[in-house]
Amino acid sequence: MSAETPPTSQPLVSVDGLEKYFWENDSVLDRLFGDEPVAVRAVDGLTFDIHEGETLGLVGESGCGKSTAGETLLRLQEPTDGRVEFDGDNVYDLEGSDLTEFRRDAQVVFQDPFSSLDPRMTIGDIVQQPLDIHDVGPTDERRQRVRDLFERVGLSVDQLDRYPHEFSGGQRQRIGIARALALEPEFLVLDEPTSALDVSVQAQVLNLLADLQDEFDLTYLLISHNLSVIRHICDRVAVMYLGEIVEIGPVEDIFEAPKHPYTEALLASVPRASTDERERDRQTLAGDVPSPRNPPSGCRFRTRCPMVIPPDDLEIDQEDYRAIMNLRERIERRDISLETVGGDEEFEFTDGSIPPADVDAFVDALRERVLDRELPARHAELVDGALAELASTDWDAAGTQLREVYASVCERDRPDLGEDGHPVACHLYADNECETLENVR
Amino acid sequence: MTEELLRINGLSTRFFTEQGQVNAVDNFDLRIDRGDVFGIVGESGSGKSVTARSIVDLIESPGEITDGEIWYNEPDLADAVREDRPEAVDGTFVDLRRISPERRRSLRGTSFSMIFQDPESSFNPSLTVGEQIAEAVEVQRRASANPRSTRARTRSEEYSLGSFVLSSFLPSKRYVTEASRERAIELLELVGIPDPVERADEHPHEYSGGMLQRAMIAQALAGEPDVLVADEPTTALDVTIQAQVLDLLDELQSETGMTILLITHNLGVIARMCDRVGVMYAGEIVERGTLEDVFDDHVHPYTEGLLGSIPDIEGEAGRLQPIDGNVPSLLDHEMGDRCHFADRCPNAMEDCLEHPPEYDAEGSNDHAVRCVLAAQEYDERRAIPDGYFDETRPAGDKHVDPEDADEGPTVDEPQRPLEEPGGESP
Ligand code: SF4
Ligand code: SF4
Repeated sequence: MSAETPPTSQPLVSVDGLEKYFWENDSVLDRLFGDEPVAVRAVDGLTFDIHEGETLGLVGESGCGKSTAGETLLRLQEPTDGRVEFDGDNVYDLEGSDLTEFRRDAQVVFQDPFSSLDPRMTIGDIVQQPLDIHDVGPTDERRQRVRDLFERVGLSVDQLDRYPHEFSGGQRQRIGIARALALEPEFLVLDEPTSALDVSVQAQVLNLLADLQDEFDLTYLLISHNLSVIRHICDRVAVMYLGEIVEIGPVEDIFEAPKHPYTEALLASVPRASTDERERDRQTLAGDVPSPRNPPSGCRFRTRCPMVIPPDDLEIDQEDYRAIMNLRERIERRDISLETVGGDEEFEFTDGSIPPADVDAFVDALRERVLDRELPARHAELVDGALAELASTDWDAAGTQLREVYASVCERDRPDLGEDGHPVACHLYADNECETLENVR
Repeated sequence: MTEELLRINGLSTRFFTEQGQVNAVDNFDLRIDRGDVFGIVGESGSGKSVTARSIVDLIESPGEITDGEIWYNEPDLADAVREDRPEAVDGTFVDLRRISPERRRSLRGTSFSMIFQDPESSFNPSLTVGEQIAEAVEVQRRASANPRSTRARTRSEEYSLGSFVLSSFLPSKRYVTEASRERAIELLELVGIPDPVERADEHPHEYSGGMLQRAMIAQALAGEPDVLVADEPTTALDVTIQAQVLDLLDELQSETGMTILLITHNLGVIARMCDRVGVMYAGEIVERGTLEDVFDDHVHPYTEGLLGSIPDIEGEAGRLQPIDGNVPSLLDHEMGDRCHFADRCPNAMEDCLEHPPEYDAEGSNDHAVRCVLAAQEYDERRAIPDGYFDETRPAGDKHVDPEDADEGPTVDEPQRPLEEPGGESP
């Protein structure tokens, strides 16, 4: 909203290598049974700055870690690793009055502002509570401050003694915003602030947030899955996928000239409310987001990326390559039920193998099942070779055969987010690509 | 060329709650042609989901369809019904409100199918997805084992519910034949489940949200329905998965020619999918027509407000033009006999204090608007003074008393879980 002002030299918030893992199988019982704890890497190495007076958007789909990132940088959760500086101080080192001050300066607005509050409190008390906790001024001053806040966010002071559930979603969000503003913060984390609202009411709240930012010189971190909202109010945008930032830059650049294949796909996926929508050329991303328990090696988007990079010496059509990579993935996960290949009991496995005479027919039937496109002869032969290994249930051999020919730089190396004005974590944009390729194994 | 498939006249659905009578759907008219994708768009409390459920006869107490006709064009059904209930037949049309409940139920899955926002509700967690879809296939097989004219007489309630709902109704797998199982796998493949053979043997919890949504569509298609009613089918999904599911519905529609009634709050989804659209507000359609009529040549100030509220993903960040105020009360005693939008409308005039009829509007033949502006210019001298409505509606937009806080749905949202409000995309 204040895109024109150039960033000041010192960022207000500076996040460096922030990590937040959750642990599964970590109970005493699990350890007793020898189950290894499993890390869920919700946030896995975020680095970004937020400058004073700007709105940074954190956008991504569910499970990408954007809300965890917001909570962790406010120290509502302890980080696994990394550093967050607020006004030059490391947030995780703060104690005593410094911590109290941070808790005043940095506030949060959630999607449902009342989920964590006592429903028996009046909305006046709810807005006043932070003032009470921080012991700000005498009682009548607090009362007056609450009245001022009510007016500022567009609520009627006659309603101070009502209860939250008497209000519509939009009004509840105004109450949440008034509460967040009570202590005159500098920085607000807005976590899906309009996601539960109807669009007509969402527009009211977005306008209110814009006005408040101007009036009180607020700095915002807006967390949202809604790309239209992000575009509308952010100055800069960071796109997250599976716990990582894949691209960050000025809002215009991200929306007009996205670089990362995931950003492109995300933008293309949003249906536009216009009569041209049916004719719009859109590419739909296949597949689901993998689990953060076991994220893909290298680039985390590689299991769905339509641009995944084939080895240099390989001549192959991009879509054929994508199809073979999907097949590899299934073989490596052992996710094909070999017993049901072909018709009724057509192929009989004894000791994990079918009779040699049946192998060719088996490969044909299996190919039919797992590949929905015709490959050029050279690749068809290679793939058939791997499928033939499955006739003797040799998953490893099948996987190895394919890996030797088709392994991508995208699975070997984790692409770094660069440092320029619009960094992107994708090998398609790495200038030192040759060097990287040589370092492989 | 076009053939009318559904003709709904004066449909009213009420909820009888402690706070009073809620007019969720009020004297609602609609026509849908065979093979059309018709969208109903509205915000929470507009009555769009209740409308969908009324059409497929899924209204439960304290709700009740109190009035109206739902004419369904199906010659064979008309023949079958004519003898017993001549009053329920008009040419090839049958009024679904006047046939026997058993016959009505037998149309579920085979004539009408419904998919929901939340696919979990359509599956029994303890059976495999394949079994449950095969079950829905059995329904279809039994129905089509009889000629279509008599299939409406199939009496088996449990079967006819098959593609629908409630796991508890689903009979166990003892009815599933090998042929049905194979058909179930075909259906899973049709809806784009990779590895359908493996996936058929998995339980619902092993599916991702997008995959389960696809499986629910497969289940709904098992009976080869004439009409698929899709109630916020992509609202709970991430945007890349939403795009997949919309592509799928689009493909299935053009392959099978089925009619889709799509209910959503998302104008982008409407633009992506629909030929025709109706905008709902306070239980009625306030503007309807082709996509162009409604998106480009709208007359109703509510349509204008809805479109003006959406932040543009492609354009400049101008200031949004929200609609003032809040969603309307649907309590009968608070609604009054005026234009229901008048208290939020920037153009409200004295003429709007009488409930406006539906006027024809410029554009296609289907374009119609329930607003006086279709018949007369805005006249500032007749404007309703500011604050006029403040007394008639409590400013606090009060729904319930603190005491009943925990007692279920609030008054103007009788079906809250069905009317998940939402942003522009899920
Ligand atoms: S690094 Fe490779 S897989 Fe990842 S986004 Fe870039 S091209 Fe796609
Ligand atoms: S009838 Fe009157 S109040 Fe209602 S929408 Fe039209 S102009 Fe506005």
